[in-house]
Amino acid sequence: MPPDKIQLIGASRDFEARGRRVQALQPIDLSIQPAEFVALVGPSGCGKSTILNMVAGLLGPTSGTVAYDGLPVTGLNQRVGYMTQKDTLLPWRDVEANIRIALELQCRPTSRADAAAKVREMIELVGLKGFEHHYPGELSGGMRKRAALARTLIYEPETLLMDEPFAALDAQLRLVMLDQLQFLTRSRQMTVLFVTHDLGEAITLADRVVVMSARPGRIRAIRKVPIERPLDVFTARFSSVFAKLHEELWDELKDEVTKGTDL
Amino acid sequence: MADRARTTGGILAWQGVIALSIPAVWEATWRLTGSTWISAPSLVAVRLAAWASDGLAEHIATTAEEIATGLAIGCACGVLCGLVLGRMPILAGILRPIIVALYSVPLISLAPLFIMLFGLGQLPQIVLVGIVVFFLIFFNTFAGAEAVDEDLIRTLRLMGATRSEVFRKVIAPASIVWITGGLKVALPYALVAATTGEMLGSRGGIGFLLNGAAQQFDMTSLYAAMVILMLLGILTSASAARLESWLLRWRHAAG
Amino acid sequence: MRPDLALTAGTPDSIADRSRRFFTGTTGRILARIVILAALFGAWQTLPGPGMRFWASDPVSIVAALAGWIIDGTLWRQLLATLTVMSTSYVLGCAIGVGLGLAFGLLPRLDKILSPFIFAAYALPKIALAPLLIILFGIGIASKIVLVTVVVFFLVFSSTIDGVHDTDPDLVRSLRLMGATRSELIRKVLIPSALPWIFTSMRIAVRYAFTNTLLAELIASNSGIGYLIAYHSGIYDAAGTYAAVLILVILSVALTEVLTRVEKAMSRWRA
Repeated sequence: MPPDKIQLIGASRDFEARGRRVQALQPIDLSIQPAEFVALVGPSGCGKSTILNMVAGLLGPTSGTVAYDGLPVTGLNQRVGYMTQKDTLLPWRDVEANIRIALELQCRPTSRADAAAKVREMIELVGLKGFEHHYPGELSGGMRKRAALARTLIYEPETLLMDEPFAALDAQLRLVMLDQLQFLTRSRQMTVLFVTHDLGEAITLADRVVVMSARPGRIRAIRKVPIERPLDVFTARFSSVFAKLHEELWDELKDEVTKGTDL
Repeated sequence: MADRARTTGGILAWQGVIALSIPAVWEATWRLTGSTWISAPSLVAVRLAAWASDGLAEHIATTAEEIATGLAIGCACGVLCGLVLGRMPILAGILRPIIVALYSVPLISLAPLFIMLFGLGQLPQIVLVGIVVFFLIFFNTFAGAEAVDEDLIRTLRLMGATRSEVFRKVIAPASIVWITGGLKVALPYALVAATTGEMLGSRGGIGFLLNGAAQQFDMTSLYAAMVILMLLGILTSASAARLESWLLRWRHAAG
Repeated sequence: MRPDLALTAGTPDSIADRSRRFFTGTTGRILARIVILAALFGAWQTLPGPGMRFWASDPVSIVAALAGWIIDGTLWRQLLATLTVMSTSYVLGCAIGVGLGLAFGLLPRLDKILSPFIFAAYALPKIALAPLLIILFGIGIASKIVLVTVVVFFLVFSSTIDGVHDTDPDLVRSLRLMGATRSELIRKVLIPSALPWIFTSMRIAVRYAFTNTLLAELIASNSGIGYLIAYHSGIYDAAGTYAAVLILVILSVALTEVLTRVEKAMSRWRA
């Protein structure tokens, strides 16, 4: 049996807020297989982003272990591509230069011609054709997100961490991007850990959906998605299997969501 | 629309009136009183023309050289020190009050010190300009390097960038905004520093001309030198503004 | 970049971690500064050879010169001279600057008409006026005050105009609709909205007043700290020159401190 790609064993995380110690994440046990697409759904503040940060090596767990490819994560995990909620495009580079940047680094030498070709491909993929020479300051929020996605995907990291990447997009564009994402991650056998607040999005793309509780977060439910992959993103939600799973998971989720808003 | 055009036309008209009447009144006053203290635009123009054919270019070159050399050295050192110290938080924390204290000193008043140390040539001016520019640029670069968005750095590290790549691709470009801010102030300051040094003791430059005219009570030459200085001042401010809009195109694009 | 393990269960501190923490704390920093300065002054005192010594002087002689000035009153006399010029010019420049600035700001097109001329006047290094003023007013205090007043005036004047123009036109419109008269508009909207600009420029003007007072004293004057620097460097008295520079540094730092305190106090009051 292949080793887990990502493993959290009893991993918890505390934060300091105004002099008090707050537990953001209760001990979590989660294993993700290679090439698996796992979605994390939960109310705000449940620690979904914290889990991503721990896998990326930006934070260490307060207790327990976070392992990648069987080894504990220490320091920045350069095998993952991380698309955060805040798009961190370099404001002084235009769209093309921003997308290209990962290919400029010495850890993956790429010839100029190859890089240019890949960038072109990516720009088409995310639908930013015509905006290559615009600066991030000139783009809308959705466009910046797409540029950030292109920038993350271009160097084909083996694992993708995504934190609500499509939240700012309109419904149509979101479906298009979901479709692209599905195609890309499946063809390159990427392992994906995908955070979203949209249950439908989660079920559409994921092999497994993890529902988390309100803060302090713990795993409330994990379900496999029994739908054939690849699926047609645009019509998926009309299937009965989809609807049934959605109802089940929503039941779990809605308690937690209201708990969150009570605070 | 027509209203705006009329107003703009009106403004330009008034500006033209003022621009013409000031020298006209000046000239008239001179012709009426004949006072050498007042001099006249016509005399100043003649003097400028005489200078132009006899050494003005050298004097302007002297001043310009002092500014350019001092700027180059001060900028280079300032940027380097600023970037390095900006990313060494412990050392920066230790040195900060010392740096702030030094920054608050009006460095141009050290001009006589440099003339004592370096003589009457261009060197004291170059040193003065260099130090003034260094402090300005250093301070700005330092603030900029400290303030770089950590998320940008993290993003690139996750992609696999080495420390030096992060420095070259994130920290340095991010600091340019601040460096440019420093340059905008530094350029005019450089002119003031060079001129001051020349006025206190030198053998050439516009400040030297100015001082020489004053010592001989030659009002026409005095006004002529002031005109040249004003033009140089406009040139430096305009260049600084130009440089800023070129370096920060991406900011201006965002509008 | 190390992952943030701040709240991770105990890993023992390494020497590097401990020293890093020490130098980030106040005592550590102060200690480090003392060490650095002591080393610098020590080197200054001992290293220069006989030839260099003439130009470099040494900390002991410099402090001795300064002490001499404290005792014989030179320090206080010159300090008073500089501060007098500085404060008089500052007050004059601000008063005239704000007054005229408000007047000009309220006349709508006057500002646009004059702006290129003001820009040209701005471009002239004010120090270039010094010789002219000395010819007109002599080497005494008057020429210095005129020069520094002009500098302060320019700054405060243009900022005041900008401040008046920066008033939100919607604000003006809504008060007009309420029935405000012109003078009420000026008092209740235009002036208050110009105040932040005015205060900011007055703050910056202190620095300008300081710098230009010193410059004026350098050019031709017989009093003030600037004069001290010019005089001693003119007679090649290195110790005296550096002592005067030391006074300058202390004065500058004190000025900055005072300004910072005043600002803090004012922002508390304003906010």
